[in-house]
Amino acid sequence: MNKRAVGLGTAPRATLVSWIHHHRQAASSSLLRALRLPVATGLTWLVVGIALALPASLLVILQNIETVTSDMRSPARFSILLEGNVSLTDAQDVSNRIQSRVDVRDVTLIPQDQALARFAADTGLVGLLDSIPENPLPHTLLVNPLDSVESEGLSQLAMALKAVKGVDQVVFDTLWQARLAGVLQAGRRLVMGIGLLMMMGAVLILANTIRLAIDARRDEIVVIKLIGANDAYARRPFLYTGLWSGFGGGLLGAIMVGVFFIYLSEPVNQLLQLYSSDQRFTGLGIMGVLNMMLLGGFLGLFSAWHAATSQLRELEPR
Amino acid sequence: MIEFNRVSKRYADHDALRDVSLTIGTGEMVFLTGHSGAGKTTFLRLLMLLERASMGTLRVDGRDTARIKGRNIGRYRSEFGIVFQDHQLLYDRSVLENVALPLEIAGFRPRDIQRRTRAALDKVGLLGREKANPAVLSGGEQQRLGIARAVVARPRFLIADEPTGNLDPQLSAEIMGLFEAFNRVGVTVIVASHDLALISRLKHRIVTLKLGRLVGGSGL
Repeated sequence: MNKRAVGLGTAPRATLVSWIHHHRQAASSSLLRALRLPVATGLTWLVVGIALALPASLLVILQNIETVTSDMRSPARFSILLEGNVSLTDAQDVSNRIQSRVDVRDVTLIPQDQALARFAADTGLVGLLDSIPENPLPHTLLVNPLDSVESEGLSQLAMALKAVKGVDQVVFDTLWQARLAGVLQAGRRLVMGIGLLMMMGAVLILANTIRLAIDARRDEIVVIKLIGANDAYARRPFLYTGLWSGFGGGLLGAIMVGVFFIYLSEPVNQLLQLYSSDQRFTGLGIMGVLNMMLLGGFLGLFSAWHAATSQLRELEPR
Repeated sequence: MIEFNRVSKRYADHDALRDVSLTIGTGEMVFLTGHSGAGKTTFLRLLMLLERASMGTLRVDGRDTARIKGRNIGRYRSEFGIVFQDHQLLYDRSVLENVALPLEIAGFRPRDIQRRTRAALDKVGLLGREKANPAVLSGGEQQRLGIARAVVARPRFLIADEPTGNLDPQLSAEIMGLFEAFNRVGVTVIVASHDLALISRLKHRIVTLKLGRLVGGSGL
């Protein structure tokens, strides 16, 4: 029998240097492979780009609407008309009770005489009002809620104020703001829903792309597994294929959104000027572009991981 | 050391191996022979964990292979160099990249990969063809490339399944000479071949299988 082999056996596996080397190699070969198939790669990027561009566009439009409408908003304020038989002392008492609420910033009492005088001054009907024997106006409270109170809180506050003894009527001039906030909230959820559906579509498309890529390299995978590669090694190039597809799709999506906003910005800015608004229609910005690319990359990686893990497990040498 | 102890492999319609007991010592060179369907390939597939024995135990260096599972299979296989009759080369990679593959999988450093790959190509006479695509090589060169890839990571075991099946007698003798050269430096070599004329000329143990049974050469 021959002597035992000297220096044989396996090398230290997965050293950091070799691990990094293989990652670099897998990343560059996956990218080159994708660039060598420009039509197939372009179509994948386009589909992923559209899937990301639609919700991104809606989101940016929504953000612009929020910015513009916030410019138009005035702080929410309630006008409370007290019942006619409430005395000034009782009105002060009601004012103090409302002031003690945690969601109220301040309360201003306008006595009925002062209200009448202001009304007379504003309308120029001084003589006519003097001829009326009794002041027809009630004591009025102006209630400013805390800034942190949002639409639902404002509705609850209105109901609570209406229930206070001595209160006849609660007028909430900024009800439209609450409604707008509600519409915007619904809009945000709609965008999230559409976004999730589109992202699911992108994940399915990317996963299918990876499955096809694995199928095309089935023989190679069998050979490398036969000579000792584990699933992680065999999976690595496909993870990078997914990552590049996602990055590319994200970049293409960001370009689509950019072109769309350039097309839209001029008429929208003119419209805003007509409303004397200082706001300008804004697009994604650098961070938005980066976020889209990162999201695309994450979706690509996620899709590739799932597709490759399940498929490679079944792909054993026979 | 490789120990087959009463190993059987049963498929749905037939027995590929029946009650095979055999020991192959470390650093030995063994020829596995027999007609088509004798069980030579099944023997090698069990060794490579491409199949599992239906009965009996198979130990490699004392390890019961039935207990090797999951990610450890890759590590186990990397201790073997395999030479296929149909070469199993990757035709979208160069000669150099094909040979480098086992080293990359085993986690060698890039500079060691370069050095060892060139050394392996030198041993099989393919130095200077590093950048060529395997598809442009002749049958004999492709087989030598397959051998270079099999031995580049200095495996403990070298397994070849009909490595000279498609080659003329002169090239076949050349390939066998390479196996003997690797065996001389301590690699355990197992060659499955039905070319009795060729293997009988070489002075190594011949193990004969017939219809899945061991009929000759079981002892050391």
